Formats: sequence, structure tokens, C-alpha cells
Amino acid sequence: MKTVFQIIAISFVLLAAGCGPETSYIDTMHDSGKAVMALDYRDFDQAASEMVQSMLASGAVKKADGSRYVMATGRIVNDTMQRIDTDQLMAKVEQELLNSGQVVMSSAVGSKTDQMIYDTRDLKDSDVGDEFNQDTVAAKGQLIAPELSVSGKIFQRNIRYDKGHQQVEYYFQLQVTNLTNGLRFWQNETLIGKRGSNKSVAW
Amino acid sequence: MKTIISILFFAVVLAFAGCDKHEQIHLRSEVANDNLANNIVTRPVAFAFSALIGEGIEISEAVMRRNKGGFLELNVNGFNNSQFTKKFQYRVEWLDQDGVVIQTKTSVWQRMSAMGKSQFSFKVVAPRAEAVNFRMDTRKWE
Repeated sequence: MKTVFQIIAISFVLLAAGCGPETSYIDTMHDSGKAVMALDYRDFDQAASEMVQSMLASGAVKKADGSRYVMATGRIVNDTMQRIDTDQLMAKVEQELLNSGQVVMSSAVGSKTDQMIYDTRDLKDSDVGDEFNQDTVAAKGQLIAPELSVSGKIFQRNIRYDKGHQQVEYYFQLQVTNLTNGLRFWQNETLIGKRGSNKSVAW
Repeated sequence: MKTIISILFFAVVLAFAGCDKHEQIHLRSEVANDNLANNIVTRPVAFAFSALIGEGIEISEAVMRRNKGGFLELNVNGFNNSQFTKKFQYRVEWLDQDGVVIQTKTSVWQRMSAMGKSQFSFKVVAPRAEAVNFRMDTRKWE
């Protein structure tokens, strides 16, 4: 009798375990999923696409002599109520700018600095410097200073729409500045607005 | 009697002809003067008929040109034949000279909305200089 109860109990546990919603992959190419109040990957894709197209269409990053501008990523402020890694936007923008053939991004300065650039230079004067062939250590004066900087801001406004609904507006702003003379070459703003239930949480 | 019929006929003709004095300016129904074809009585019928026959979007022109940055630019002009606002999404993929799709983060579904019986247009820019052609897909924006 005890064995029968045990078998029934195990059967119930197994049945209950199989009742939960299935995990499935998102079809990121043709995602027709419902909109969410918070920012999701579709919003970043759209914002990045619009930003890149606007920048390239403006001709602001096309050098007259046909060579490439050196661009550094400046500060991208997240002024939303969400924990966003601004790289969700900038990685796409930088990738497309690099692939456009008109811009080369700098890892020497800015918010995307690669610390390894400086760590390897420190090898000259470090205790373990003798361990390295000094000819293979980067010489002084090799780094290229950026000519342009891209910086921006993502911010959010929550508005009470009516008794049961709220409106959330997300603003993506980017600007490109010429670091030689401080002049702003390009800027753009993309607005993504959502309206939904007050019960939805936008952070 | 003949004169009265003639006057009425001219009045009807003028009422229809008065719709588009300026091609560049589109006065929507309920903004412009009502006329025999578009008034408080006929509008619901027109909307119902539009839904019944399933009027939708029509692309009238797709112009490609190189912009000042050296990138291919696609300007799409269209018309929403429906009486209702049509919301849809479009995605443009760029092709190189061999007809191969160029992989880019900018080829994403973009939202577009066209008001009823109105023209619409949008512009898409290829992010690579090697783009020489395009293909565009659309889907309903839920």
C-alpha cells in the first residue's frame, strides 16, 4: 500500500513539473511578440538603426579626403528608471559605424577604453619588464587621438494618461562632436512612446 | 426647367472639382467643406465599403540615389487607399552587386503609420557603400 502511495505521489510531482509554461527562443528576426512597457531589444534595435541611418545620411562622418575619422565613445547617460547598460545601444551604433568604412573607433580614450593598451605600456618600467622583448612593447607616440566623439543620453518620462493607463516616453539622444574645434557635427533624437496599463511597471 | 437642371449639374461638377485646388495641400474630410460625395451621411458608408473591399497600402514609387555620404538611399512613396489609418512595419535588406544580402544591424522592422486616403513616404539609408540594390518586406503592425 505504501509503495502505491509513493508511486502516486511521484506521478503527481512529475505531472506538476510538466505543467509550467515552456521556454522557447525568441524569433529575433520576425518577432511579433506583444509590446512591453519597459525598453526591450526591439526598441534598442529600432533606435540604433535610426541613429546610424541619420548619421550616415547627413554626411557628417565622411571625410573630404576619403580617409576615416577616428571616433571615441564619450559618456552615454542612462536617465531612465531602468537598469540599462547603454552598450545595448552603442554596441550596435559603433559596429555599424565601423562597418560603414568611414569611421574607426578608438579604444585608447573615452568610455570604451581598453585598459590593456596602458597595461602593456607599463611593461617598460615594471619589475617584469626584463622578461619582455622591449622591441615588441609599443613605443611612445603611437596612439592616435580621436577627432570625433559620440555621446548622448537615454531618458524616460512617465505620464498618467487616464485613470487606468500610463504613457511612457523614451528619448534616445546622440550627438557627434568634433574634438578639434568643439563643434557639433550631428545630433539626433529618437522617441519611442508606449501606452499601457497603470499596472505595468516601466522600470 | 432646362436651365435649372443645367445650374444643378454645374453645381455638382463644381462641388466635386473643388476638392483639390492645391495638389500639395491635402484637406481631410471633416476639415474641408463637405460635398455630395463626402458628408456626414456618405462617410460611414464609405468607411464600411472600404473595410468590405479590403483597401490597403499601395507603393507608388521607390527611388534610389546615392546621398552625400556615398551611401545608397531608398525613398519610398505610397498611398493608403483605405479610409482607415493603416499601421504596418517594413524591413529593408541591402544587396551587394552579387545579390548577396549585406548583414547589418539597421535591417530591422521599422514602424510606419499612414492615415486614410493619404500619401506617405519614408527613407531608408544603406549603411555600407557596397549596397547596390534592396529588397523590402512588410507586415501588419499589431
